[in-house]
Amino acid sequence: MIQEPQTTSRPAQTADRTAVAVRGLGKRYGRTVVLEEVNLSVSAGEVYALTGPNGAGKTTLIRCMTGLAFPTSGDVHLLGHNVHEEGSRARSLLGAVVEAPAKFYPQFTGSANLRLHARLASQGRGGTRVGEARIREVLALVELTRMADRRISEYSLGQRQRLGVAAAILAEPKVLILDEPTSGLDPLGISLIHRIVAEHAEAGGAVILSSHHLREIAGYAHTVGILSGGRLVDTVDLRSRHSAYRFRVDDPVRAANVLGAQPFVNRAAPRPPYAVAELVSEAAVPEALSRLALEGVRVFEAAPDLFDLYEYYRERLQN
Amino acid sequence: MLNLLLLEYRKMIGFRSVRLALVVCLVLPWIWSFSPRLQQLYGLVLVSGWQVPALALAPAVDVLLPILIAVTCAELIGSEVAQGTLAPLLLRPLSRARLVGVKLVAALSYPVVLLAVLFVGSLVAGARLGLGEFAGGTGLGPGSWVGVGLLTPGDALGEITRAYVLAAFALMSVATLALLLGVALLNTAAAALATLATLLMLRQLVVFPEKLQQLLLTTHLGLYTVQDPVQLRNSLIYLLIYTVGFSLLALFTFERRDV
Repeated sequence: MIQEPQTTSRPAQTADRTAVAVRGLGKRYGRTVVLEEVNLSVSAGEVYALTGPNGAGKTTLIRCMTGLAFPTSGDVHLLGHNVHEEGSRARSLLGAVVEAPAKFYPQFTGSANLRLHARLASQGRGGTRVGEARIREVLALVELTRMADRRISEYSLGQRQRLGVAAAILAEPKVLILDEPTSGLDPLGISLIHRIVAEHAEAGGAVILSSHHLREIAGYAHTVGILSGGRLVDTVDLRSRHSAYRFRVDDPVRAANVLGAQPFVNRAAPRPPYAVAELVSEAAVPEALSRLALEGVRVFEAAPDLFDLYEYYRERLQN
Repeated sequence: MLNLLLLEYRKMIGFRSVRLALVVCLVLPWIWSFSPRLQQLYGLVLVSGWQVPALALAPAVDVLLPILIAVTCAELIGSEVAQGTLAPLLLRPLSRARLVGVKLVAALSYPVVLLAVLFVGSLVAGARLGLGEFAGGTGLGPGSWVGVGLLTPGDALGEITRAYVLAAFALMSVATLALLLGVALLNTAAAALATLATLLMLRQLVVFPEKLQQLLLTTHLGLYTVQDPVQLRNSLIYLLIYTVGFSLLALFTFERRDV
């Protein structure tokens, strides 16, 4: 699904799979500091969700990452290309929706707007040619084929949002950046966007999205960045959380030490009455139980340690 | 580039300000061709349809056309910001210079379009007074309204065309100024008002020394009435500097403008 753009040189960053690199990003408006020393990195195939309270700087960060706004300090690279210095080349790798709902020319039809985006996508260095077939394909993907020849002024907010996502994926970008992509969507529309985002990541694209819906993003994001007061205060790797298991034991400290020494355990810590371990995979659970038994630790229960992102977020911001 | 330019014109046709301006340019000559108090106020009696274009042009260039041009050219950027369509354009691998370049071409062609409509509208409105040979002047050539004897239709057309072309050239500077302020302010109303305020302020500087007057944009907007070749050349150079200068400033300003 993801095609290589028309480029002759392959930047060094692709070798380490870093698709988006934000380094020391700062943004001020006069004396007001909106972003301060933001560092983040998103790999190819990763879904990175940005969250945080209103006014935390999510939209400004997204505008800086997409090249719409210029940072006061720091830089943003998309697959090795500086967004603000090599704008055209960097944007040829990018698909984005920066407003909810997405904005289009209301006097034109949905397909005419996509045709316009297709023409623009072929501009500049590294531009991608997009044909009629691809336009029909993305319209079908967001279930808007029926509305294709209607003017945008006849679209509902949710339909505009879906068309925005269609425009963003039109040129099969390497990096997809979406600001509040599920805003104004009904449950079916939300699951549709989830599917598109997940498929894009599975095909090797990097996805950055902002959202307030924590339980929703916990379902498909790999990493969550929590932004507060213009700073990235925490980065949560949900993949490791998904493989965490808790063992109710008679001696949580000793159990954590035993598990921590095993090669199939990434990290282990006591959380009485449990010992919680991040395993390399679910298949390592029987091995972990057998090791604990061998060391004389009595295990009463073993279960996945389900991570509540909402609770974590609440605690993180309160502290 | 051509695709983008065509898109820009399609968008412009949708602007209410453009539609209004086109209606005004068509209606204005009819008002002048029928004006019953022309003799009482200006001591002028229309003897030919060839005089209507000058009657329509003078007041239009002074006030009306700068207003209409300022609003539409400010809207070229302002409407994109208001509709939220500027950001999606800038997310594509299209250089900012190219985007503003297309808008500059659209802005520069707008005075030409308006004056062409005014020109045609004036000739249609003047047709009822006759468009044949007449004794007098078009108001836009040597001898102004009185003229220098008999004027053939060919000569009359030549004088009027020259004046309209010069007026269009002069108004291009207003169009680029409005686009520059549109890029700087990203708001139609603010940019249009700033353009008009700048023009009015420059006109207030009439009390300043004559050497300063020569540098002012507003001094040269009446270019179409100038017959002296030296003065005409100087005005053309000043207007060219203003137009190119405003265009370059618009390009540079937009290059690193937060959107």
